[in-house]
Formats: sequence, structure tokens, C-alpha cells
Amino acid sequence: MVLIDMSVELSTQVVDHYENPRNVGSLDKTSKNVGTGLVGAPACGDVMKLQIQVDEKGKIVDARFKTFGCGSAIASSSLATEWVKGKTVEEALTIKNTDIAKELCLPPVKLHCSMLAEDAIKAALADYKLKQEPKKGEAEKK
Amino acid sequence: MDVQATTPLDPRVLDAMLPYLVNYYGNPHSRTHAYGWESEAAMERARQQVASLIGADPREIVFTSGATESNNIAIKGVARFYRSRKKHLITTQTEHKCVLDSCRSLEAEGFQVTYLPVQKSGIIDLKELEAAIQPDTSLVSVMTVNNEIGVKQPIAEIGRICSSRKVYFHTDAAQAVGKIPLDVNDMKIDLMSISGHKIYGPKGVGAVYIRRRPRVRVEALQSGGGQERGMRSGTVPTPLVVGLGAACEVAQQEMEYDHKRISKLAERLIQNIMKSLPDVVMNGDPEHHYPGCINLSFAYVEGESLLMALKDVALSSGSACTSASLEPSYVLRAIGTDEDLAHSSIRFGIGRFTTEEEVDYTVEKCIQHVKRLREMSPLWEMVQDGIDLKSIKWTQH
Repeated sequence: MVLIDMSVELSTQVVDHYENPRNVGSLDKTSKNVGTGLVGAPACGDVMKLQIQVDEKGKIVDARFKTFGCGSAIASSSLATEWVKGKTVEEALTIKNTDIAKELCLPPVKLHCSMLAEDAIKAALADYKLKQEPKKGEAEKK
Repeated sequence: MDVQATTPLDPRVLDAMLPYLVNYYGNPHSRTHAYGWESEAAMERARQQVASLIGADPREIVFTSGATESNNIAIKGVARFYRSRKKHLITTQTEHKCVLDSCRSLEAEGFQVTYLPVQKSGIIDLKELEAAIQPDTSLVSVMTVNNEIGVKQPIAEIGRICSSRKVYFHTDAAQAVGKIPLDVNDMKIDLMSISGHKIYGPKGVGAVYIRRRPRVRVEALQSGGGQERGMRSGTVPTPLVVGLGAACEVAQQEMEYDHKRISKLAERLIQNIMKSLPDVVMNGDPEHHYPGCINLSFAYVEGESLLMALKDVALSSGSACTSASLEPSYVLRAIGTDEDLAHSSIRFGIGRFTTEEEVDYTVEKCIQHVKRLREMSPLWEMVQDGIDLKSIKWTQH
């Protein structure tokens, strides 16, 4: 039987993010100001959906997440939504998985959760950028 | 509620053990004084208690440090003894790690092992077993009750097949002894592994049953002073075996009542969870099943996050996040569980001392937190929107 590795005690930060989650939910993914990143796979036990809402100046004003995954995965994605808020799209690209891992005191076996969170941020940003492109011509006309 | 992992000591077992931890501390192999004689008498009484539970002769019981050692002795001991003529063993894919690992180490010694698959129910296909037996097969090893999903294998039928083909039959009965009736003669079992701490006995002790008629020869694993008829050298730990013996005797008395009570509690747990939550799957055959081991998958919710939520209940999960590798449980994989459901599985263990209040509390918290986690789950959201998850191309990480 696969038992919890008890040496991997959940840090208080991870537990906190589960019990008091920040920014759980969804934004309107059809909106052109919303970027949606969906990363991971159910077969791997980790799926993160991270969404950002960006204003005209390129600043992220809102973020939401939903995660299928362990406590560390939930905490990593929750923290990611906290960190992207208030940053510009360029600044958000600099968020590193190592920072997330450090903040949550993730043990080595859980580092992949923070990596997936970084991927989720990048995927959301990429989706947002993609949505802006075809409309670039229109925006310039304005 | 993790009784498959271990059980508390039954107070009657502790009572039986105490004198041997305090006063009667003699070495049971000391032939020359009363300390030894009284210790030996206690050891032999315990041996009889263990034998009586499984329908064996006391001379067929060898005390060990636990079921892991018993499995090692049975599998490696038989294989090695008969190695000149027999080079093949058969086991299943859902065995406990110590059985699988013993087989693997034998493969490194030049033996050939067939790992039988199981059906979706978790039960082996008897025809496949028959087909797998070769002229040079020395041993078939199939566990009686699975520790992860509680499935019961058709032990009597397997015994019959092995007996007719003149192959020794070993069963790891750690999760079954004292919980369901077992008789080594009726079921034609040649070797059996028994664990103390799974039946409200002490940790660090177990036994292996080795048939005398017809005699099963076993090459000893541990060299030494020749205790336990040469099959397991080392001073027999009197207090521990007294505990094992007492646990077996108590189990024999309580078996029927325990089974009835545990069945009722199990049904209560399963019914109450399933009527309040959709998309819950029970892993393993519901009919050929020991009621005290319930393995459920809660779709769209990951196992470890649920365990974290149920923090004041002791449970375990088949999720990869609870292992050092990122692989989910091999038992769930063997029964063909979809990988995402394997990550969503929780094992509930109900035992002699589990109360109705504990079951109700667990059910209530489980329902509450599964609902909460589903609200946080992108998979649940997609399913509610009518998306077929199997149609999505997921990113690999």
C-alpha cells in the first residue's frame, strides 16, 4: 500500500492555502481580456487551470484558479494567482517555480507542483497574448 | 480508520503479554531451569493457539518477525530447496511488495516467475492459473485478502488446482487470518503467512505455517542455533508470541461477531457516501470482498488533497502524491482503474474497535470536503459544462 511519506509534513503555508484558498473560481474565458492556461494531465494526478484578467495597460487586475491535485499543487496554484495580481504581463513572466517552492517550503518530492504552477502562469499569459494578436490591427486603427 | 496498515493491541492480548514482559523473562530455549521451562510452555501454548485458528497442527507453525519474513521464508525457502528440479514460480500482480520483491530477487538467482494479471474485479482467472502451471513449477503464491482493495481470492479453488497439479500453494493471509474462516486442510494450503499486528496483536511478530503431511521442505533463510525446527534460527520472543497466540485465540472467539459488525459499518459508510455524492467508484469486486477494507475513488478530486482535508481521520490513498515516485498504486493499475481515478482513491479501514460515531464522522467530513474540492477542481467544472475529459489533449509535464 502506498502510504503518505510522513517525512513530507505539509507546511503551514500549504495547509493555509487549502483551508483559506485565495482566488478559487473562474473568469469568462471567452472574454478577450482573459487568458486561460490549462496544464497537467489527470493521468498524472495534477491539473491546474489558471486565468488572468488584464486591463488595457497590460496589467493583471484579477486572477482565478482551479486545481485537481495534492495540497502542494493547490497551494502552488493559489499562490501563483496571488502573485500575478497587480503585475504586468511582462513582470508575470518572471515568476519562477523556485520562488513558489521556497515560499511554500515545498520538499523535493513536491517541486514538480511549483513547476506546473509556473507553466500555468506562462500558459495563461500565452493565451492572453494570442487573443491580442489578430486584434492588433484593429487596436492600431483606434 | 487505517486498520490495514496496523491495528491497536486488543486489551486481552496486552493482559496475556504483560507477565512475560515483567516476570517471566526466561529464554524459551533454556532447558536447564524454570525460567526457560515456563517460557517454553508459554511459547508452545501460543503455538497451539495460532494453529487452532487455521486448522493446523502446532508442529506446523514457525514463529517469525512478521508476515514479511514469513513471505520471504515461504517463497525463497521453497524455491531454493527444490531448485535442482524446479525453476518456476507463479504469483499475482496484486501481491504485497514483499512477495513481489522476493520473486524479483529469485529471478536474479535464475528462477522464472509468472506474474498473473487480475480481472477488473481484482480476482485472478483460474483458467489462466491452470495454464500457467508448468512441469517445473514449485510454488504458487496468491494472497487471501488484498490489503489495498479488500478483494478475496478463491483460495479453496486455487488450493484444489495446485494440489491436483502437485504444486505447493502459499498464501499471504496477513489481512485474512482471524477475520474470515480459514482451514489449511479444507483449502489445501501448504504454506501461509500470518501477521501479528494486523489482528490486534503486537508488532514485530508473525508466523509461517508449513505443512507436514505431505511434508513441504523449506531452505532456512536465517542461520543460527536451529530454533523452530531449524527453519528460523533465533531466540523466539516469548512476550511477542504470547501476544500473537492470544490475538489468534481472541480472533477465533470474536470472528463471527466482528464480521457482522464490520459488515454493517461498511455498508453504512458506503451507502451514506454514495447517496450523497455522485461519481464515486468502489475499487474491487463488491461480492468477493472483505468488508473491513473499502477502497473508493472520488472522481475529479485528488487523493492526497482529500486526505489533507480529512486531517483528523487516519486514512490512506492510492494516489501518486502519497508515494515517493509519481506512480499511483500498482494494485489499482492491475485492476484496470483509469489513472485519474487511481489518483482519486482513498482506503477506509474498519476494524474491531471502529465505532459507528467514527464512521458517521468520517462520512460527513468526506462528503463535505469532496464537495469543496470538486468546487476547486477544473475537471469537475469541465464535466459540469458537458465536456468529455477523454477528448482533451492534456499537456505532459
